[in-house]
Amino acid sequence: MKKISPQVWIVVAAGIAVILGALVLAKANPAEAIRTLGTGSFGSMRALSGTLKETTPLLVAGCAVYLALQAGLFNIGVEGQLVMGACTASAVGVKMPTPAGFFVGCAAAMIVGGLWALPAGWIKAYRGGHEVITTIMLNNIAIYLTDALVIGPLKDPAAAYPTTESLSKATRLASAVKANDLQINFALLVGVGIAVGMAIWLKKTKPGYELRATGANATAAKFAGVDTKRVTLSAMVVSGAIGGLAGALMVFAHEFRFYQGFSPGYGFDALGVALLAGSSSFGLLPSALFFGALAKGGTALAALSIPKGITTLTLGVVVLAFAAVRYGRKAKGGGDGA
Amino acid sequence: MALDPVQLAISTVTLSAPLALAAIAGYMSERSGVINIALEGKMLTAAFACFAASTYLGAVGGILVALVVGILFSLLHWYSTQKLKIDPIISGMALNLIAVGATNFGKELLPPDPIADGKTLPLQLFYVLAFAVPFAMMVWSAKTRGGLRLRAVGSDPDKARLVGVNPLSVRFSALIVTGVLTGLAGSLLVTETRNFTDGMTAGRGYIALAALILGGWRPVPALLATILFGFASAVQIQLKGTELAGANIPSGVWSMLPYLVTLIALAGFVGKQRTPGGLGKV
Amino acid sequence: MSYAVELIDISKRYGTVQALDSVSLKVKQGSIHAVVGENGAGKTTLMKALYGAMHPDSGTIDLFGKRHTFAGSAQAIEAGVGMVSQHYGIIGELSCLENLIVGSEGSGVLNLKGAEERANELAKKMGFEFDWKAEASTLSPAGAQKLEILKLLWRNSQIMILDEPTAMLSPADSDALFESLSNLAKEGATILVVTHRLPEVFGYCDEVTVLRGGKWIAAMPVAETDPESLAKAIVGGELVQRPPLSTETGAPALLTVSDLSVKGPKGNLQLKNCSFQIRKGELVGIAGVDGSGQRELFQALMGTTRPVSGSIRFVQGATEQDWTNLPTRERLKQGLRIIPEDRLAEAVIEEWSLIENATLGLQRIPPFDKLSGNAVEPEALKIADLFNTKRGSLNDAMSGLSGGNQQRFVAARALLYDPALVLAFQPARGLDLNSTARVYSKIRELCDTGTSALVVSFDLDELLEYCDRIVVLCSGEFSEPKPDEGRDRDAIGRLMVGAK
Repeated sequence: MKKISPQVWIVVAAGIAVILGALVLAKANPAEAIRTLGTGSFGSMRALSGTLKETTPLLVAGCAVYLALQAGLFNIGVEGQLVMGACTASAVGVKMPTPAGFFVGCAAAMIVGGLWALPAGWIKAYRGGHEVITTIMLNNIAIYLTDALVIGPLKDPAAAYPTTESLSKATRLASAVKANDLQINFALLVGVGIAVGMAIWLKKTKPGYELRATGANATAAKFAGVDTKRVTLSAMVVSGAIGGLAGALMVFAHEFRFYQGFSPGYGFDALGVALLAGSSSFGLLPSALFFGALAKGGTALAALSIPKGITTLTLGVVVLAFAAVRYGRKAKGGGDGA
Repeated sequence: MALDPVQLAISTVTLSAPLALAAIAGYMSERSGVINIALEGKMLTAAFACFAASTYLGAVGGILVALVVGILFSLLHWYSTQKLKIDPIISGMALNLIAVGATNFGKELLPPDPIADGKTLPLQLFYVLAFAVPFAMMVWSAKTRGGLRLRAVGSDPDKARLVGVNPLSVRFSALIVTGVLTGLAGSLLVTETRNFTDGMTAGRGYIALAALILGGWRPVPALLATILFGFASAVQIQLKGTELAGANIPSGVWSMLPYLVTLIALAGFVGKQRTPGGLGKV
Repeated sequence: MSYAVELIDISKRYGTVQALDSVSLKVKQGSIHAVVGENGAGKTTLMKALYGAMHPDSGTIDLFGKRHTFAGSAQAIEAGVGMVSQHYGIIGELSCLENLIVGSEGSGVLNLKGAEERANELAKKMGFEFDWKAEASTLSPAGAQKLEILKLLWRNSQIMILDEPTAMLSPADSDALFESLSNLAKEGATILVVTHRLPEVFGYCDEVTVLRGGKWIAAMPVAETDPESLAKAIVGGELVQRPPLSTETGAPALLTVSDLSVKGPKGNLQLKNCSFQIRKGELVGIAGVDGSGQRELFQALMGTTRPVSGSIRFVQGATEQDWTNLPTRERLKQGLRIIPEDRLAEAVIEEWSLIENATLGLQRIPPFDKLSGNAVEPEALKIADLFNTKRGSLNDAMSGLSGGNQQRFVAARALLYDPALVLAFQPARGLDLNSTARVYSKIRELCDTGTSALVVSFDLDELLEYCDRIVVLCSGEFSEPKPDEGRDRDAIGRLMVGAK
C-alpha cells in the first residue's frame, strides 16, 4: 500500500463536509439522516431483504463493469445493456410462461446485452473511438428504443401506463431463503457466483491473466503475444452479456415485467460498485452491499424530505475520494483518445 | 414526411450552439492534455447556477454566477487530475455524478418557477458567441504565446517542462477557459427553456466531446462536427410524430437519431493520428 | 581564473537512493567540459540541478560568480543556462519554428515572421538549413539535434548542457556536432557534455569530471589523462571479461527474411525490401542511426505489425515455418524471445509484482503454462537472480525497481526459457558496463548451444564488441559491409549514413 498524501485526506474530509453541508442545507439533522439510512437498510429483516434486493442488480451489473475495467475499459454502457436485457427477458418470459422461459429469457438477455456492447468494443479496438462516449450514446439509444417498444408492440393492452404484461408464476425465479420477513432470491446467489467465479478466473487462468495484462499495459501485453484487440472486443461483449443478465435477473426475480423507466440508474451505480471493489472481484460483494444499502436507505431519507440527489452526490464524492486514495497514479504515458 | 428547410436551418443553429461552446471548452482542456469527459457535469452545474442566480440576481448576475461556478467546478477537475493525479476518466465520471446529484438536490430546495421575463440575456448573444468562439480559438491557438504553450503542453508535458513551460499552470489557465465556456453552454440551455430540469444537458457534453474528436482536436472542424449533430437533432425534431411508410413511428425512435449519428460518426472515424500526444499524461 | 559554472557540494536523495552525494563541478568559460560515468553515476541528475529541473537537497550553484537558486527551468533559462536532454526536447506535433521559440516567445502575440528571420540568421551562422514550417516529427535525429543547438542560441544560452548528444547520431553526424560545439566554445560559450564515449572526450573536450555512484571521483584536464586510466576511474575496478567472439560459420539458416517491407506508424514505408539470413548460433547486430527502420523490422519479426510485402521464414527443428503473418503468440511458442526497447511501455507491467511479471510473454510456454499464482515464485526467483536484480520481496511491485534492475529482470526473462531466437532492442539500455557484459555473455552462451540472436543498438562500439556479424540499416534500406570490412568502424559508419 502506497503512502497516502495529506492532500488526499483533505479531499476525503472535504467530501464528508460537502455531504453533511448538503444535509444541513436541506434542513435535515445529519445524525438523524444517518440513523434513518441505517435503520432503513439494515434495521429490520424487512429492511435487510430490501437492501439485498437492491444489492442484486448492483452486484451483477458491478461484475459487468468490473470485468471490463480489468481489461482497461470503462463500460459506462451497463445501464443500456441492462435495460435491453430486461426488455428482452420480459418479452421472452411473456411468450414462454414455463420454467424454460427463465433460461431462454436469460440467454436471450445475455445475447442482446452482449450485442449491445459489441459496437463500443469494436469501435474501441479497431477504430480508436473511446468507449465512454460510445457506450453513453448506446445508453441513450437503448432507453429510447425500449421506451418505444414498451409504448408500442410490447405494451400490455390492459395497462394504463407503458409496461409489458406480468410474467406467469412458472417463469419467476424463486426465493432461496424465505423465513418470516427475510427473503433472499436465488438471483443474489447467481450474482455471488459470478463475482467469485470471476475472481478465480482472473487470477488462475491464462485468459484471465492475458485480460488483466491487456488492461494494465496493452502494449506490453501485445509484445507478450496477447491479441489485445480481440481481448478488448470480447471483454466488452462478455461485460455487456453480464449487464444484460443483470436486467434479466431483475425481471425474473423481482419486477416480473418491464416498464418505462425500468432502471433507476443501476448501470451508473454499478460503476461505483466496481471502482470501490478494489483489486479483487471478491471486493464486489461488500461494495455492492454498501451501494444497495445506500439505495434502500435513500428511499427512507425521502420521508425526511431530503432530495434523492443526495445519494448520487454521495456516490460521486465516494468515487472521487476512493479514487484519490487508490487510483492516484504516477506520471506515465498512455493517453488514449477521449 | 416533409422537412421545412428554413425551420431546419434555424433549429440546426440553435441546437448546435451549446454543442459548439462545449466542444471548444473540451478543446481547451484536451489540447492541454486533460481528458475531459466531465463537460457534461460542468454544463449541468453551470446551467443550474444560471437558473438559480438569474431568479434572484437577474440576467447579468445569473450569467456571472454561472461562469464562476463553471470555473470552480472546472478547477476541481484540474485539482483532481493534476494535483491528486486521479485517473482522468474516473475523476470525470465522479464529477458528472456530483453534478447530477448536487443539481437535483439544489433544485428541490428552490421554488420550481421558471425564470421571469427580463431576467435572462438575449439568446442571440449566445448564438453569436458560439459560432465566433471556434474561429477566435483557431487564431489564438496559432498566433499567440498562450496558444503555442497550450499545444506544447498537450503534445508533450515533459518536453514542455524542459523549455521552461509549466504544464500545471498552463492547464490551470486552460481549465479556467473550459469553465467559462461550459458556463456559457449551460447558461444557454437555461436561457432557452427558462427553467432547470434534472439532467437537462441530456448527453450534450459527450456529444460535444465526440465532435471534438471527429474534428481532430481542431476548433473549426469541431464546430462543423457540432453542426452535423445539431442538424441530426433538428431533423429528429421535425420528424417526430410523422409517419414512415404508413407506420406510426413512436417519437422515441426519432429521439435516438442524434446519438446514432454520433455513434456512426465515431465508427467511421479512422485512426487517431491527431490525438494530442500528451493527452492524459501528467 | 574565474569559472562560468561552480556547483559546490550538491546532494540529492530520491527515496532511499542517494543520487548525488556532495558533488562539485567547476567549468571554465569558453571550454568544453565532459562529465563521464556509468549509468546511475548521477551525471544527468547533476545536470538537472544546474538546469533547475531538479532542486538539490543541499549545495550551491554559482554562475559567473553569482549565486543562484532555481525554482524551475524557467529561471535557469533566464540565467543563461540551456540544456539538450538525451531524448531531445523537440515536440513532434509543433512546427520547427514553434519548437525553436516555445518557452521564449518574447511577446504575447507571436511575431512569426520576425522569428523566422532571426531563425534563418542563426541557422546560417551554424551552417544549418531548416524548413521552418515543417512538423518537427519529420526531423531526423541529426536534424533534431541541430534544432536543439539553435534553441540554445535562440535563448542566448551562455552555458550549454548536452546530455549524451551523440547517442542517436551516426559517427559522421557526431563529428559534425562536435565541430559546431568547438566553434561555439571559441566564441565564448561554456559547454558541458555528458557522454559515455571516450573518443569524444579525447577528441574535443578540454576538461573532464568523473562521477561514480553519485560521488565525485576526479576532475582533470583531458591532456593530463589517457583513455585507459579514465576508463578505470569510471568503472572503479577491473572490467568483466568480454565474451569471446564466435568464429564458426556454415551453420544452417534459422531465420530467413526476404524482400520485407513494413510501414511505420505514420503510414509511410519505413523498411524497404529488406533481405537477410541469420544462421543457427549466430549473434547478429543491426547498426544504424535511430529511426532507420529498426523498430519496424522488430515489429514485423515479433508479429505485432503485418509487413506490406515480403516473407519471414523460421526453421523450427526440421520444419520451416512461415512467420510472415503468424500471430506473436505462436512465434513465442516456437522459441522467439524479446527484449523490447522501452521496458516500461513494452516489457513490464509496473503495478504488478515481480512474480506476476515473470510470466509476461511466457504465459503459454512451459513451465509457465501450467503455473499460476504463487506457484510461479521459484521461476521468478530464477529470473531475478540470473543478473542479480536488486529488489525487495518478489511480491513487491515492479515500479519499485530502478530502471537498470528492471532491465536485468526483463533480459533474464527473455534468456532463461529455451530461446531459439532472441530479439533484443538496446539490451544494454540503463545497464552499467559490467552488467552489459554479463547480459551479452549469457547471449553468447546461448548462441554456443544453437540459439540465434539479433541485436539492435545505436551504439556501434557495443555492437563491434559483442556481435559476430554486423549489418546496417539506413533509411529503411539494408546493407552489409564488405567481407573484409565487417569490423571496420569507419566503413560501417559510412553505411549508416548511406555513403557507399
